[in-house]
Amino acid sequence: MCGLLNINMAYVNGTLIASYFICKRELWFMAHELTPDQDNSFLELGRFIEEDYYKREEKGFIVGEMKIDIVKQGDENVIIGEIKKSSRSELTGIMQLSYYLMRLKEIGIIAKGEVLIPKERKKIPVELTKEIEEKLRKAIEEIQMIIMEPFPPKLEKIPYCTHCAYREFCWS
Amino acid sequence: MSENIYIFSNGELKRKQNTIYFEVKDGNHKYLPVENIREIHLFGEVILNKDALEFLSQKEIILHFYNYYGYYVGSFYPREHYNSGYILLKQVEHYLDFEKRRYLALKFVEGAISNIITVLSYYRRKGINLESLDKINALYQNLFYQNTIEEIMAIEGKVREIYYSEFNKIIENKEFIMDKRSKKPPENQINALISFGNSLLYSYILSEIYKTHLDPRIGYLHATNFRRFTLNLDIAEIFKPIIVDRVIFYITNKNMLSSRDFEEKLNGIYLKESGRKIFISKIEEKLRTTVFYKKLGKNVSYRRLIRMELYKLEKHLIGDEKYYPLISEW
Repeated sequence: MCGLLNINMAYVNGTLIASYFICKRELWFMAHELTPDQDNSFLELGRFIEEDYYKREEKGFIVGEMKIDIVKQGDENVIIGEIKKSSRSELTGIMQLSYYLMRLKEIGIIAKGEVLIPKERKKIPVELTKEIEEKLRKAIEEIQMIIMEPFPPKLEKIPYCTHCAYREFCWS
Repeated sequence: MSENIYIFSNGELKRKQNTIYFEVKDGNHKYLPVENIREIHLFGEVILNKDALEFLSQKEIILHFYNYYGYYVGSFYPREHYNSGYILLKQVEHYLDFEKRRYLALKFVEGAISNIITVLSYYRRKGINLESLDKINALYQNLFYQNTIEEIMAIEGKVREIYYSEFNKIIENKEFIMDKRSKKPPENQINALISFGNSLLYSYILSEIYKTHLDPRIGYLHATNFRRFTLNLDIAEIFKPIIVDRVIFYITNKNMLSSRDFEEKLNGIYLKESGRKIFISKIEEKLRTTVFYKKLGKNVSYRRLIRMELYKLEKHLIGDEKYYPLISEW
């Protein structure tokens, strides 16, 4: 225990779930509020895409500690959307949305999800399954363990490093 | 690509049509591209209002102020945007624990001396007889046996004294003779160049600190005195030889400056506006120069090297990777 952080279940948010599936080191940094270099061009591009697409939709919903990109009314259920830059983050988008769906279910809201990749005109429907739910529960448990470690997980070169805003931090 | 703006004229800096606008006293004016500005250096007499400061703060642009003599006066450091209580506590912990503080102070001086040796070795290879290198090497070996911060600083002081005494051999132009380092006021042209260059470097580093989670008020080598920024002074030790001094050698040996670019005031020698402009254009060029950074696997500018030095410090503070100073091999 590092004693500096007081972490509980509520602390886990969508970004941390996404980080967990990308890089555990990034996860530790995020949890410690060590935000990455905001001048990073990929981050800037991401912010731009988020702002520029889906102008007719309502954006940026905050439910508890979750920040949901898009919420709209579907035929039966509410649909929540997560905007991603490219298919590279398709899987993380799915897990992030599933996490939101799971949390919404806990408060009695049944919703559906869509990973949106506007630049590729892609829309991937997401439904919460038993397996994914199981995976997420395991992830949340592990996230809390990683965050409580006094030091960040060791440096490891992965393909994601090339586009990561922590690249220069990690490899300096 | 963000840039640094330098204002030499007298006038008024204001917010206009969602950007920054500078109105020169003689009626000229200029719009400044607010989205692309990293920092603004003010050398002239500039009038500002709160509206402009608020806008600059929102755009996270730092203002660095210099007095009539080109000395750094202070900065408008917009409300910190990368706050991390965690890093702040770690920074303090490494200051209060003497062994931890000593480690960092030692590393900053180790970087400073190593880079001085790099610079001198370059000129020795070019055939200049620099016998003091052996003396500096001996002092460098001694550094690691020093126990207090004062002792560490004393070694650094001695090395610098010897190093500056070699400037006369490196600088071919005999107009620029240096007897000894003098600061307040600088007594000759070389001292004026060193003071001006160091002032600029302190502010560049401060701007980079602003982009990290570090608090510039907590330094390790230069004692925190509760008033001013000190961490930038620490980091500057590493970069002075490889940025400022190299620019000085370059512009003097290329005869880019002459005594007409200096003036005498208050018993001191100062760079005039013409001289400052030449110096700034060359130091800017230096900051944009890139070198290959092995660990990162790509080219980075000197400006970026400063940022990465701060990242290394952050990593040291959080216990991720031990800090070693940048030692230039080129």
